[in-house]
Amino acid sequence: MKEQTFNNQTAQKIYDDYFKRVRRCIAILSEDDQRELTMELKSHVYEATRNSTPEREIDILMDVLNKLGMPEEVLQPMVADKKIRQATRTFNPRHILQALTLNITNGAGYVVLAAIYLLISTFGLLIFLKFIHPSDTGLFVSNGRLIGFGFILDRPAGNREVLGNMFVPVVIMIMIIAYLLNTLLLRLLRRK
Amino acid sequence: MYYICRMNSEFVQNWFSQVKKGTLTYIILNILSEKEYYGYELVQEIKRHTTLEVAEGTLYPLLNRLKTEGIVESKWVEQESGIPRKYYTLSADGRTTLFEMRTIWSTLETAIRKIQK
Repeated sequence: MKEQTFNNQTAQKIYDDYFKRVRRCIAILSEDDQRELTMELKSHVYEATRNSTPEREIDILMDVLNKLGMPEEVLQPMVADKKIRQATRTFNPRHILQALTLNITNGAGYVVLAAIYLLISTFGLLIFLKFIHPSDTGLFVSNGRLIGFGFILDRPAGNREVLGNMFVPVVIMIMIIAYLLNTLLLRLLRRK
Repeated sequence: MYYICRMNSEFVQNWFSQVKKGTLTYIILNILSEKEYYGYELVQEIKRHTTLEVAEGTLYPLLNRLKTEGIVESKWVEQESGIPRKYYTLSADGRTTLFEMRTIWSTLETAIRKIQK
């Protein structure tokens, strides 16, 4: 895409500053989304200013940018929405964390899902506990009855741990499944 | 008396803002049902048809949302200027959606006319 240039240096500076702010606001998005959004706004500004005379460039440009609004406000919903799409498409934890941060004020659903992600990540602690306290961490049963899964100190006599070396793979499997399911819920929530 | 008038005026302004917000999607879909438009052209078209002052900054998030929902489609068209335009058009789903919206609008319009008599 060709860059728009202005005859008036002040107009050029106003334009460059505005798009510097736009770039800052959308830096969190994928390269494709950043390019798409910037192109769309630049195209809009070009169409609105292309018939302006050099004397009126600043006035017309200012008017267009005012009508578009402050990038920090205008782009927030689009950035939040695109980030959720990127996160639920890639399943990348970094994108998911960023998407939740951007959308946390958009409803209780996002708060609940963020809490579930937090719970999933704390589940990973069991792996470390299994190495530090192997005899107190696992899936415990007593007389064919389930006592508990996790790190349990106060157990009835005669209990035994049934998973053994499979405990860590089971925890990892549970975390992966819970993560995938929660991310699919996040995708559904965005569509609502 | 002045205070009451000012309060009513504020109330009406707020109500009008809500009406605008609620009907903007319907207006856009109706305009796009005729032919494809690029963003800036769409703003001008909305102004021409409705005399509504659309906050241009709200248009692109809305179009983006409609595209995500599969109601509109978009394509970039290169221009001689070297600065391309992004044209929006109604998708097949969008046409069905608009048909349903028109039915609802028509029912609502009839009901309001009856009430106003």
